Amino acid sequence: MAVVPAPVARPLHPRRSVGPMTIDTLLRRSRRRYIYLVPAIAFFGLFVAWPVVSVIQASLGIRDQGMSGGFLANFSHVLHDPIFWTATRNMIYWAVITVIVQLAVGYTLAYLIETYAARSTAILRTAFLVPLVTSASVIAIVWSQIYSPDYGPLQHALSDVGINLSISLLGSPHTAIFAIIGINIWEFTGFSMLMYIVGLNRIPSELTEAAKVDGATGIRLIRSVLVPLLAPITKSLVLLGIIGALQTFPLVYLTTSGGPDHASEIYGTQIFRTGFILNENGYASALAVLTLLIALCATAVQVGVFGTRLTVGGHS
Amino acid sequence: MKRFGFAMVTAAVALSLTGCVSSGKSTSAASSSSASGASSSAPAAAGASSAPAAAGASSAPAAAGSSTAAVASTGSHQTVTIWSWFTKSTMQKAIDQYQTAHPGVKVEYSYYNYDPEFLTALKTAAANGTLPDIIGLQPGSLTQQYRTNLTPLNSLAAKQWGANWTDSVYPVNLRQMQMGNPAGDKNYYILPQESQVLAIWYNTQIFAKLGISVPTTLTELVADAKKIKSAGYIPMYQGAAGAWQNENVFLMIANQLKSGITDDAQNGTTPWTDPSLVSAMNVWKSLFSDGVFQSGALGDQAYPTGAQLFAAGKVGMMALGSWWLQEAELTPPIPSLVQDLQGFNYFQFPAVSSTTQPGAVVGGIDVGLGLTKNGANNPNAFDFMASLVKGDAGNAALSDVNDLPAFSGVTLPSTVGSNVKTLYAKFNAQLPTADNQRFGSPVVQQALDDALSGVAAGQETATAALAKVETAQQSAG
Repeated sequence: MAVVPAPVARPLHPRRSVGPMTIDTLLRRSRRRYIYLVPAIAFFGLFVAWPVVSVIQASLGIRDQGMSGGFLANFSHVLHDPIFWTATRNMIYWAVITVIVQLAVGYTLAYLIETYAARSTAILRTAFLVPLVTSASVIAIVWSQIYSPDYGPLQHALSDVGINLSISLLGSPHTAIFAIIGINIWEFTGFSMLMYIVGLNRIPSELTEAAKVDGATGIRLIRSVLVPLLAPITKSLVLLGIIGALQTFPLVYLTTSGGPDHASEIYGTQIFRTGFILNENGYASALAVLTLLIALCATAVQVGVFGTRLTVGGHS
Repeated sequence: MKRFGFAMVTAAVALSLTGCVSSGKSTSAASSSSASGASSSAPAAAGASSAPAAAGASSAPAAAGSSTAAVASTGSHQTVTIWSWFTKSTMQKAIDQYQTAHPGVKVEYSYYNYDPEFLTALKTAAANGTLPDIIGLQPGSLTQQYRTNLTPLNSLAAKQWGANWTDSVYPVNLRQMQMGNPAGDKNYYILPQESQVLAIWYNTQIFAKLGISVPTTLTELVADAKKIKSAGYIPMYQGAAGAWQNENVFLMIANQLKSGITDDAQNGTTPWTDPSLVSAMNVWKSLFSDGVFQSGALGDQAYPTGAQLFAAGKVGMMALGSWWLQEAELTPPIPSLVQDLQGFNYFQFPAVSSTTQPGAVVGGIDVGLGLTKNGANNPNAFDFMASLVKGDAGNAALSDVNDLPAFSGVTLPSTVGSNVKTLYAKFNAQLPTADNQRFGSPVVQQALDDALSGVAAGQETATAALAKVETAQQSAG
């Protein structure tokens, strides 16, 4: 019996697979696929790239008539300002503390919810995500009241166990930034938890079962199996955490505005104050550019040290 | 593709860095209604979510569209655009009156929270020429920041109200209207919409219950604060995390010690390290250390928390101003304490030394309005502005008693309660002699804010803190 082969589907436009890319080749190739990129590129160009370039121009004083001191005058001004170094110290505290605590607490919550609370995962996940979707203004107002020594519930609860704070956490220069960091951890731990939940659910169950058969349970299972498998999530969260720390603004601005006397100043509040209130455009732009450079360096270091595999089960 | 793309990007970056690409200094303005729509959403996003770096110092490209000049030329339907932080419901009363009296004219009011949304919106709109016709302003540094975008109002006001129109403006307002103007510039860039007088409001019921009388000396104030605190109330609520209330209290004390001294320091006649100012700063510090303010005041905000606690009867005293009168006219339900403001009265800051009297009376313009260069092309814009500050539109909103009037000769409607009317008259009687509350230079103002919170936090001595303010004053020129 003769076997008739099925008709072979031919592509309408045969691909050219050799030759360097020239303008001619680009125009002759199917343009449709690139056209789909145009809206995204246009949006990015108009609302992200162009403003960034504009800020870089302002920081170098390119369009300033009265600028003296050369291109780097604004940067020098920033680097010689003690407020910049206070803000840098605060940013380091912020990044280190929020990332570590959010990872640890987020992972713990994710593991406990997924392992032990199978029936109420929906409610628990929602509960821990509510702070994430709450308006920053509301969070600032409510937490300011919580922290108040005279009428706030925090002091009230602490005095029930015999602790009487002699200072106001939000109002003291030494503790203000840490008090706000605490609020930020409360707000964003849900996000880490969510990422870890996704990661835990993507781990093939055969792996965990095999590990359990080999005798790994509890802490050993977490330490030797789950944490390494979730490493890509951890890397993403560290990256996002650092960039998020550099970008933070509403929470600090609405609680202490960077005070008292700049004690809780961060880059965002300093840029806003110098740019929009004091009208020092050069300084504000230079600080914005420095923030961008710090973010780029942090990202480059992290990618270099940890690699780029950012999804569980994906390829490097 | 990679090389091609890389080449494009490099070229674009190189071109723009050499400044050859024309920047957002272009003045192609969008039509006024789309400008207010587009601009009000962008600053809100910039302020609330991401770092200000993207919104930053320079402009975003202006949307293309017809210029606002086209609005003024033809057609019976004219639009007046106004941006401010003025209470929306009160402004609406004025707008409704004006629109009824001028059929065919539409007034579009965009309300912004002052800080940071309004400040952000103004700056971004000013950078690309899309400011509305009228903008809310505070005298001094904010007006000066936008002076080049504003139209001088002298001749417009004279045409509207006659050559002697300044006679009915309170003297302190008149001085504030030119505050910060460059030498020789006698233009008024701002018209006052409302005035205010600062005061220490107190809860009369708490005072009566505890047998406290109004303190006339600092010692009495400290003693009263102790009594109020032991009874479980907050003695004097200070939102020291926000700068404005700190400035207000300091101004009252400083001008009590020597009237006009903060003006003298601002124009360089007296140094900020003058002994009277150092004393004032030390009195300021004692309000924290002696327990007049609540503990943790440096972490608290006057609005909304302080005001809510005060209106709810949990606070003995609060350093506010004549604008507190508006609480009585808020939409019900309002606490019984606040109805006709029957539970409140006010006093001037107690005498801080044996040689001074309680005071000082400090105040001036609460909120003002400026006519932008865009608005100068719209004849209905100034007409609405004039009606709002001294005319039928403003009078229609008087029932809200938002604050004191900018011009003399105003009476409240009969719908306002008798206690509020009494307090209103008392404040108005003080306005003619008020000392100036405002700052001409944002740099000096910021330095004073830092000094006040630094001293309050115990980080700096009064002398050292004021020396820094003097340095800022010198650099601001």
